[in-house]
Amino acid sequence: MTFELILKYLKGEASPEERKAVLSWIDESAENKEEFTNWKRIWALTEKASENEDVAYKNFLKVAEREKQKNRFRKIMAQAAIFILLIGLGGVISYVYFNSASNQEIYQAKYTVKSPLGQMTELKLPDGSFVLLNSGSKIKYNADFSRGQREIFLEGEAFFDVEKDTEHPFTVKSKVLDIKVYGTSFNIEAYPNEEKFSTTLVEGSISVMDKTGKEIAQLKPGENASYAKDENRLIVQKVNTGIYTSWREGLVTFRNEKLKDIAKFIERWYNVEIIIRSEELGDERYFGTILKNKPIDQILEVFKLTTVFKYEIIPRANKPTLIYWDKIN
Amino acid sequence: MTKDNREILSYKFLLFKSGDERIFQEIFKANYNRIVGFCNQFIFDLDMSRNIAQESFLKLWLNRKKVQTENGIHSFLYTAARTQCLDYLRHEKVKSNFEKREMILSQNILKSYDFDNIEFSELEEAVNRAIENLPERCRMVFIKSRYEGKKNREIADELGIAIKSVETNITRALKFLRKSLAEFLSILIALLCSL
Repeated sequence: MTFELILKYLKGEASPEERKAVLSWIDESAENKEEFTNWKRIWALTEKASENEDVAYKNFLKVAEREKQKNRFRKIMAQAAIFILLIGLGGVISYVYFNSASNQEIYQAKYTVKSPLGQMTELKLPDGSFVLLNSGSKIKYNADFSRGQREIFLEGEAFFDVEKDTEHPFTVKSKVLDIKVYGTSFNIEAYPNEEKFSTTLVEGSISVMDKTGKEIAQLKPGENASYAKDENRLIVQKVNTGIYTSWREGLVTFRNEKLKDIAKFIERWYNVEIIIRSEELGDERYFGTILKNKPIDQILEVFKLTTVFKYEIIPRANKPTLIYWDKIN
Repeated sequence: MTKDNREILSYKFLLFKSGDERIFQEIFKANYNRIVGFCNQFIFDLDMSRNIAQESFLKLWLNRKKVQTENGIHSFLYTAARTQCLDYLRHEKVKSNFEKREMILSQNILKSYDFDNIEFSELEEAVNRAIENLPERCRMVFIKSRYEGKKNREIADELGIAIKSVETNITRALKFLRKSLAEFLSILIALLCSL
């Protein structure tokens, strides 16, 4: 058997006669069968069709949507079955318990608190814990929070001062990692669109968990754990916690950060839109502290003095003010 | 500053698990043609291969929380595809004796894959490593032919070489792969003989 013929067969280019010849050869001995099997295994694993992926994905979304509807229908049917069963039982039981039938409503309420752009929001949770939400950040929690399920979903940045309760751990969930706490104060940054996660512990102790509930790190006071997309690792380091929590006092320190990242912060605080008209400028780094509660033009003046850009402010009706940053050559 | 690095799962993988549709779309587009191609090698029905691939991705999406590692995504997709191909072959009405023999062969080879354990990622890695070690021209031709799905004619035009030379290079590449994978593949002999 020539190798060329096997290859032709694998490619699907063999004639019916050739195919028969290959098959007969395979049946001749265990060795032949093994050899062919090995080839085929490699061939199939390196095979690639040439379908249009975009079209395929669109079709996939349609099927996925249909599947979702089906599941929803199934769920409704299941609920309906329980409901019918309850009515059936209810017919009997209500004679006995009619008067004691409680008025308790059973539903799962969800609370969402969102801090408006340009403002911080302070709130006290049902367990007495204190949360300070940074501008544009959002937390969500369920009604069972007050019944010991201390679980918060965070998008953005917040400072937590958690009421101690060793029996009911307090969990902060973000998109990629979770924090488990027993009574402490700490800061978390988990902006979903910036693809990073950072938490700083001021006092007490917290654990950083992955989504499977596995503990990745335990922090001591004064430590920061950060996770950046490109690095695929959690970096735990001792830091000056003031830098990470200073936003509470309206002070913000940039730690050698790119101007394009700083622009994102400013967009959030002042509810403006910033367009940097030079890629080079966006990658330039800045180190310094600014006072956040000053008007935007004063902040921009400070930047102008200490960096290499000029700006242009364009107020717009019904839309956030537009600001252009340009490099000074 | 004291530093302490801890290796954890990649950010993309975490996003995948948390149900990020953008990442899923990326995974879909990067692997769709591989899964369709894989299925079609065994069931010889492109339409059905598309369906099976689609179904495999749907399963991946619904079970994303159960996938433990990044490699697990590939294993999951190929396992789902394999199971469905076997199902399809089991219920397929066969026309001729000849087709029946081919089908049994397909089934046996499909069964010989064990995507659940480490073997799959090892095989995948071994194949990739072997391809990297191919002589330059040989590798280019092989990749264009196998991964980019180009016809020999197109490859010949692109590289400015004769069709015959394209064929020779593909054959050379495969022989080379066979040699460098021999040790790896011999582990599987026992397994195959028991089929």
